[in-house]
Amino acid sequence: MAHPVDPSPPGHPGGASEGVCPITIFFDGKPISAQPGDTVASALYRCGVRIFSRSFKYHRPRGLLCGSGHCPNCLMTVDGIPNVRTCITRVHDGQKVRHQNATPSLENDWLSVSGFFSWLMPVGFYYKTFTHPLVWRGVEPLIRKVAGLGEVSPEPAADAGSESHPEHGSTGAGPAYAHIFWHTEVAVVGGGPAGLLAALQAARSGGRVVLIDDQPELGGHLRFQGKGRHSGEWVMPDGQDLSGLSGPDLARKMAEQVVKEPRIRVLQDSTCFGLYEGRLLGVLQKLAGGQRTANGSPSAGHSQALERLIYLRTQRLVVATGAYEALPLFENNDLPGVMLRSAAQRLAHLHGVQPGKRAVIVSEQADGGPVAADLKVAGVEIEAVIPRRELVSALGRKHIKGIRTTRGDLACDLLVLEGDRVPDAGLIAQAGGSLRWEEGQRAFLPGEMPPFVTVVGEAAGIQPNPEAPLPGPCSKKTFVCVCEDVTVKDLCDAVQEGFDHIQTLKRYSTVTMGPCQGRMCQLSSIAVCARQTGRAMEQTGTTTSRPPTLPISLGSLAGPRHHPVRRTPLHPCHEALGCTWMDMGDWKRPHHYPAPAAEPGASGHGATPAHTSTSHSHHLPTFVEAEYRAVRERVGIIDVSTLGRLDVRGKDAPKLLDKVYTNRLSDMKLGRVRHAALCDEAGILLDDGTVSRLAEDHYFITTSTGNIEFVQQWLEWWMAGAGWCVHVTNVTGGLAAVNVAGPKARETLAGLTGTSLETAAFPYMNCRQADVGGVPCLMLRIGFVGETGWELHFPAEYGEYLWDLVMKEGQPFGIGAFGVETQRLLRLEKKHVIVGVDTDATSNPMDADMAWVAKLDKEDFIGKAAILRFQARLATGQSERLVGFVMEDDSVPLDGSAVVHGGRPAGRVTSCRFSPSIGRGIGLAWIPSALAHAGRHFSIHVNGQLGQARVTFQPFYDPEGKRLRM
Amino acid sequence: MQLFSHERMWRSHELKSRYDAVIIGAGVHGLATAYYLGKDHGLRDVALLEKSYLGAGNSGRNTAIVRANYRTAEGVAFYDASLKLYEEMSSELGWNVLLNQCGHLTLAHTDSAINGLRVRAETNRFLGVDSRIIGPDEIHKLVPTLDLSRRPRYPILAALYHPPGGIIRHDAVVWGYARACDRMGIEIHPFTEAVGIRMDGQSVSGVVTNRGEISTRVVANCTAGWASKVCQMVRVPLPIVTYPLQACVTEPLKPFLDKVIVSATLHVYVNQTDRGELVIGAEIDPYQSYSMKSTLPTLEQMATYTLELFPQLHGVKVLRQWAGICDMTPDFAPIISGVESLKGFYLDVGWGTYGFKAGPIAGRCLASLIATGETPKLIAPFSLSRFRQDRLVGEKAAAAVSH
Ligand SMILES: Cc1cc2nc3c(=O)[nH]c(=O)nc-3n(C[C@H](O)[C@H](O)[C@H](O)COP(=O)(O)OP(=O)(O)OC[C@H]3O[C@@H](n4cnc5c(N)ncnc54)[C@H](O)[C@@H]3O)c2cc1C
Ligand code: FES
Repeated sequence: MAHPVDPSPPGHPGGASEGVCPITIFFDGKPISAQPGDTVASALYRCGVRIFSRSFKYHRPRGLLCGSGHCPNCLMTVDGIPNVRTCITRVHDGQKVRHQNATPSLENDWLSVSGFFSWLMPVGFYYKTFTHPLVWRGVEPLIRKVAGLGEVSPEPAADAGSESHPEHGSTGAGPAYAHIFWHTEVAVVGGGPAGLLAALQAARSGGRVVLIDDQPELGGHLRFQGKGRHSGEWVMPDGQDLSGLSGPDLARKMAEQVVKEPRIRVLQDSTCFGLYEGRLLGVLQKLAGGQRTANGSPSAGHSQALERLIYLRTQRLVVATGAYEALPLFENNDLPGVMLRSAAQRLAHLHGVQPGKRAVIVSEQADGGPVAADLKVAGVEIEAVIPRRELVSALGRKHIKGIRTTRGDLACDLLVLEGDRVPDAGLIAQAGGSLRWEEGQRAFLPGEMPPFVTVVGEAAGIQPNPEAPLPGPCSKKTFVCVCEDVTVKDLCDAVQEGFDHIQTLKRYSTVTMGPCQGRMCQLSSIAVCARQTGRAMEQTGTTTSRPPTLPISLGSLAGPRHHPVRRTPLHPCHEALGCTWMDMGDWKRPHHYPAPAAEPGASGHGATPAHTSTSHSHHLPTFVEAEYRAVRERVGIIDVSTLGRLDVRGKDAPKLLDKVYTNRLSDMKLGRVRHAALCDEAGILLDDGTVSRLAEDHYFITTSTGNIEFVQQWLEWWMAGAGWCVHVTNVTGGLAAVNVAGPKARETLAGLTGTSLETAAFPYMNCRQADVGGVPCLMLRIGFVGETGWELHFPAEYGEYLWDLVMKEGQPFGIGAFGVETQRLLRLEKKHVIVGVDTDATSNPMDADMAWVAKLDKEDFIGKAAILRFQARLATGQSERLVGFVMEDDSVPLDGSAVVHGGRPAGRVTSCRFSPSIGRGIGLAWIPSALAHAGRHFSIHVNGQLGQARVTFQPFYDPEGKRLRM
Repeated sequence: MQLFSHERMWRSHELKSRYDAVIIGAGVHGLATAYYLGKDHGLRDVALLEKSYLGAGNSGRNTAIVRANYRTAEGVAFYDASLKLYEEMSSELGWNVLLNQCGHLTLAHTDSAINGLRVRAETNRFLGVDSRIIGPDEIHKLVPTLDLSRRPRYPILAALYHPPGGIIRHDAVVWGYARACDRMGIEIHPFTEAVGIRMDGQSVSGVVTNRGEISTRVVANCTAGWASKVCQMVRVPLPIVTYPLQACVTEPLKPFLDKVIVSATLHVYVNQTDRGELVIGAEIDPYQSYSMKSTLPTLEQMATYTLELFPQLHGVKVLRQWAGICDMTPDFAPIISGVESLKGFYLDVGWGTYGFKAGPIAGRCLASLIATGETPKLIAPFSLSRFRQDRLVGEKAAAAVSH
């Protein structure tokens, strides 16, 4: 419709639109001028746009209906964001608005033909048709194609929230979405007169109040009322009598008082979308001045967020959400030009737009009530005022041309309806309050409330809705639900088919499931259901109100997304060496370091493992080779600061550890270290690590990297209620750690410490508190990688210093840093199991060949009973076992490959690498225990073929463990 | 023509004083069990008791992902059999359950995740289930809207692609089964709560309901999140704890995504329905509860991780969020069996976050167990006694977030 730009009606009463500076927005590419204070919808309406959308199913034309963000009719794509309610979205210069769900245009939508066949698509259409799978497979993609409303860019760029986005990271402009956490004594939701009064009263009685209102100005419905005197007595808590003022003046005066009150914090443009457990309110605030660029990020110069999600905890809640209007039922009630009173008033009063030329008003008041006066002032001719019961249908195809009444036809281009007032009870239901049907008011009203909730104003009670006959069960063009194109007939048919409970009726017909969240259709669908089933409204009941009460964007919910990256205190040292990083949980760890310069091109920067290839190469990558040689032949150093560390103290510490760990730890001598494992009650391995005894009542525990929080909680869980004196402290963040290992490890460290490192003084599996290079360290002599070595734990702040010192000291011995990949190979050669890599949520120590961790003669410990059963089962041969294996051929299966027995998968490889010391692929695998005998062969699936592997229970490297003890 | 007939889907009945079998819980599992009792075994004197409306439990709250690419041989065979039954369901019931086998991708963001997927791919292939590991290029071809760049905190490295996986309309399954049961003469009793179970020595003898008492020799517990409460009535302890699981749905969009995307690292999964809505699911809540209230932190988490995968969705709005309560077993595998100590009492529970897809086969096997007394091979690994015998099944890695 290439409408000329309508001039504003003369002498319009609007206050907000009197600005000058012109704004241009683009509608489907066409420039349109708007006024400050306009919403997108009011600007478009002023320019003659009447069809704002096409309906979901039948593509029927739809115009402005509620004007207050409560229906699906004005959804458009604004600045790239789909499904934006244009009637509550303010304009800004350069804004790009596009229509949705219509091709080629809203005026002429090819798919609107589906409307003519709507009789062919009764309720439950898809369930009853295309039952043949092949037919459905053909039809389904077509249905998909035409479904949906707005469109989003297929490009995964354009992220407005992410901190790592280059646009935000460097320029200092914040992300578009913020989160903030508040608490208050009283939260008042709704800034109409009832909410304003409640806020003032609460503040007067000394409480801190947060007042939440979704409009740009306070005053609620008073703002868009006519200049006439507002009825009712209005005495403020301070005694000031405001009775007799006009609606807008009353709103202004009350708002002034609220704003002046220091104990009230006002959140304008803010929607409270949910009440969650623990009296938590979700509030979404649109921030002033926020303008989007096409990618949703704040436009240049805006460093603040556009939208802010407030997590608001409150002691008391006042619900003053008022009532909204729902669409009455009559034929063609969805035609553009059919408008609820709120929309007409807002257009006229807030935006100075003439809603039409010739109106019929549906009202129970003979003179049409205040809206008639309002329309007259806006220059609209009033054709007639009729009561609801006389209205039969709206006439017209793309826009209303007139109406049919019980007394004949009337011509008009605007039908203004006093809709059914519906108390806005979404939050009330979420609060756990009940709703009861009040026949006198013809509405569901709050019943019993939890003690912290008060409901005031129209949310608590309304002027009675008129009683109007429901349309007959065959009304095919009477829409109950404009979101989903559900008609009265659809509902009646569904009830007849047995969907006669409001919950099943909702799911079958999809009524109340659309973008309006049931605002337009809840009441009338209940009424239809009640009539068809012969039940009362009360019995029929309402559907569950689920948050959010208004649609909230994923961006706002996600907020500025901080994805923590944990870096060890030695991070800069690895960076300086040019390592390749890998993620391990939140941590960054060096996967490997570049190979020495002698072998160029092997640095493997950014190299990630070959994920989709089908087998490992049977040569070591050069970088691993070099790191491996350093450890096995000279000395290597690895950052193990990511290990979890717990400090456990107290006189009952031995008791706790004996109960929780499978080993016996109470009899450890001071200065000793033990490997220890944790199991759950079912004997499943949870974690392993080392336990060092530093004093009678003091242990130092390491856990695997990802498990620290879990182990801490596990210990705390088991001491809860025991009345023991134990303190478990997570000291992971405070400590750096390195492991220095290799034949030259002793020489390297000896130069840095006065503590003797000779085996006689400091044997394997012992620990000492020592001074290393002036840094207080806890040294554990352990041997994960199979060489003489020490794990040093020391204060994080000395991290880089000590690393550099050890590197310098080790240089004459040829020290080399090694990463996670080499460490995994080194430990695999020792056949050390990594819990969580080689075991899973069903593995127990017996089957995992770790029987030594469980001291079965110990009194009792978590998992003992189950482990005893597992032990007994070992003999029966009815389980899976974790075994070491050596490949008999050149292949090196990938981790995760299947073990095959009798042509079926019978197990899996958990770790496998090429072993330089064996010259073959070695690994760990779960296999049927029937096969788990040293020297037996089994098959592994490699690259489409079966590779032969041989079982071994010995470590592959230094089986006697001599090197560890040297 | 069915399209224009408005015949009732299922009729209402007075509760009789005795039935051959009583099934507690009319979710997909209870309904499937009744359906197969009638269809395969001609047992039609059966009452299905549902304390609320039909589909009020998880069967009406789930995200309806169906697939067979599990990790253990037992799991794969079982879920594959279920998927096959779903494939035939629309024509068998004469009722379209809107099965859409659009393909299912489980993303890996770390090396170790890739290894976990490889275990599944290998087992799947040996058992004839189409599933394989693919790299970023192929992922991009299948899901061009996915962010495969290095921007996310955990970039996507690979995926397990399972072409026959997809989504189904959960309510349609419930209604379709209910209608078929009704046509066979099986009685469906909504708003009928089992409040007690009568025992006669070592056997069940009846069920007490809010609408009166029933005598029967066979009672099946198909109550998912309430399973442990029903078992309390007969003092059969279950190794089950109940956790809420949440999901949300957005406003309808034009076609954006036609695969099911699952990321265990990010604890999120996303798909788009035929109506255009994006359905987003989370991992289970961190604490046990029977509450079906949804929470804001979980909604935030679902949004956050969805945007890690699809940053361009930041302006797309969430319409609704909800929760169901999930009956979790220690090994993420179900319990389908009789109970040694109580004759006539059967369990089909422990469905946790993943049981919708299993409804048809679980129901069929349980029906066969009830009718013949023989345990079908497919469910042999899932007996209650396995916990006493320490024979866990080990589906945690494949079932956790992946539903
Ligand atoms: C958010 C969410 C997403 C999920 N996503 C998936 C998915 O994508 N794929 C998948 O396969 N699974 C999924 N699941 C899991 C799946 O929904 C369930 O495992 C499955 O629906 C269980 O079916 P059921 O018939 O056993 O239980 P339900 O459908 O829960 O039925 C149990 C019924 O028992 C009734 N009941 C309880 N106590 C009594 C009593 N005393 N008397 C009478 N009736 C009683 C309840 O009202 C309920 O209707 C999801 C679950 C949730 C919550
Ligand atoms: S007209 Fe905008 S939401 Fe109703």
